[in-house]
Amino acid sequence: MSDTTPILRINALTKTFNEFTALHAIDLKVHDGEFLAIVGPSGSGKTTLIRLLVGMDEPSDGSIWLRDQRIDEMPANKRPTCMVFQSLALFPHMTVGQNIEFPLKLRKVAPEDRKARALELLDLLRLPQDYYSKRIDQCSGGERQRVALARALAFDPEILFFDEPLSALDYRLRKALEKELKDLHARTGKTFIYITHSLEEAMVMSDRIAIMRAGRFEQIAPAEEIYARPVSRFVAEFMGEVNLFPIRAGQAEGVTLSPAAASAFGGATGTLMVRPESLQFLEGEEHAELTFAGRIEAEYMLGSRVQYTVTLEGGQTLIAEVLRENAMPGGPGTPVRLGCAAAACHLIAEA
Amino acid sequence: MKPSAFTRAALLVYGIAILAFLYLPLVSVGFASVSKGRYLSFPIRRYATGWYGEAMASDTVRDLLFVSLKVAGIVTVLSVVIGFFGALAFARYNWRFRKTYQKLILLPIFFPQTVLGLALLMWFNAIGVIPSWKTAIIAHMVWIAPIATLIISIRAYSFDPALEEAARDMGAGTWTTLREVTIPLLMPGIVSAGLFAFLLSWGNFPLSLFTTGADSTLPEWLYAKMVSGYSPLVPTVGILTVAASATLLAVGLTVPWVLKLVKRKTAA
Repeated sequence: MSDTTPILRINALTKTFNEFTALHAIDLKVHDGEFLAIVGPSGSGKTTLIRLLVGMDEPSDGSIWLRDQRIDEMPANKRPTCMVFQSLALFPHMTVGQNIEFPLKLRKVAPEDRKARALELLDLLRLPQDYYSKRIDQCSGGERQRVALARALAFDPEILFFDEPLSALDYRLRKALEKELKDLHARTGKTFIYITHSLEEAMVMSDRIAIMRAGRFEQIAPAEEIYARPVSRFVAEFMGEVNLFPIRAGQAEGVTLSPAAASAFGGATGTLMVRPESLQFLEGEEHAELTFAGRIEAEYMLGSRVQYTVTLEGGQTLIAEVLRENAMPGGPGTPVRLGCAAAACHLIAEA
Repeated sequence: MKPSAFTRAALLVYGIAILAFLYLPLVSVGFASVSKGRYLSFPIRRYATGWYGEAMASDTVRDLLFVSLKVAGIVTVLSVVIGFFGALAFARYNWRFRKTYQKLILLPIFFPQTVLGLALLMWFNAIGVIPSWKTAIIAHMVWIAPIATLIISIRAYSFDPALEEAARDMGAGTWTTLREVTIPLLMPGIVSAGLFAFLLSWGNFPLSLFTTGADSTLPEWLYAKMVSGYSPLVPTVGILTVAASATLLAVGLTVPWVLKLVKRKTAA
């Protein structure tokens, strides 16, 4: 993946539907070979964006560049990109082989070469070769997913777009396919742009995540950075469960700060973010840089971890998650103290 | 829940009664066509199949058949073409007054055909067009094209537009998308619409009566001969007409299935 030559560049891209603006002059650069996930809640504009990128809709303003070529005025069928649709859009009147060969047939590739490539792709996607003549309705959800991927790869696109293709699958299959997609990305070296509303999916697969909200990018960064250092309250909350405390002039209500922590946040104003897994139960007179005191309200078993809802002395609610072996005996009603290091917290500055 | 013996018996009787109600008149026409007597009376004393030979050899019947086939064939082709593009316009595009237009287009289906026939006849006279089998085509189209549109629309509404988008995304132009994706997926609807269009035109009497002028279709001739000049040739031609419809229906239902089978075998 090169840092200098973006394969895709979006400049001030805008899309309006009558009075409603779905995309507000957004900019984006995607690097060659990158796996970028675009994540956002429903109505954030991610599907509108992908439809503009593949040419299904026309932008109201702005431009889209593929390397040095402007493509936003190019019809969908002339763009060197391809999309795996949410519904997969496999042709039900064609066999698996005919589906995979479709883009090759359009390019007038000889039938024997088409078949050879289709069989090669079946291998790549770990589908048995006898699936070549199977009907689409004879394939399971996961197999259809692989056929759709094989068809898209047969097209050999510069960029492969995905519009929430795993959303209709059950949890176990989704998890398995997430890993397969990441593996496929590594094996093909193609640029993947993946739209999803599932943060988990995005975190497992992508090199970078772009968080969308109301037609704008809220933050674009690697998953780790977005998780640990969100730029806004929205991103912090979107990236999973989080404890947020308003902080004014270096003081946060419900949190006892050690002198070191107080100087670290010296006079800051904004929101203090503490992830549930950063918290630990404190024993006896043990102290931490940030200390929280309260009572356990509820306890939830999450497999290898245990989650607690704690009501703090000031009335705020705190969520803490610890490994099972570090679980707090006593259950609901037990008075507890929790702590974390200042370095594990993040201050979201006020906009 | 398992039905009781009484319920099963009642359902059987009900089923037989319904079938008898639907098919007994047709069976009696069949008997009339093989009765040697001029008029049908039971029990039939002497059977004869000579009327079938006479019907086959008759120039009149051949002319009637030709006119009916010509009208029904042209109506079928035109109705399917109009219905196909109409269905796509309704199901694929959002345009102003679409729903109102859709209702207005389908309205002729509910008009009494005699009134529609009379109105068309008056209109042809007003613009100076002499009624013939050609005007019958227009008359049949007014009634049948909306039905074809409705049948194809049902299919068009039920298929995922993402399939056409996917084809375009992979490099297919408008015509290629139509040929490779849209038409094959709408084919069951197109075949059904074609069959309906043909059979409705083939058996139509009220519209033909008003609009064929000096020409005549088989149903018109059957009616005219019932009114005056009846002979067992009338039920014979009637039975042959029904047999032609049934054959077409059987072919129409079988051919797509056979084609699918052949295509699957070729793909394998």
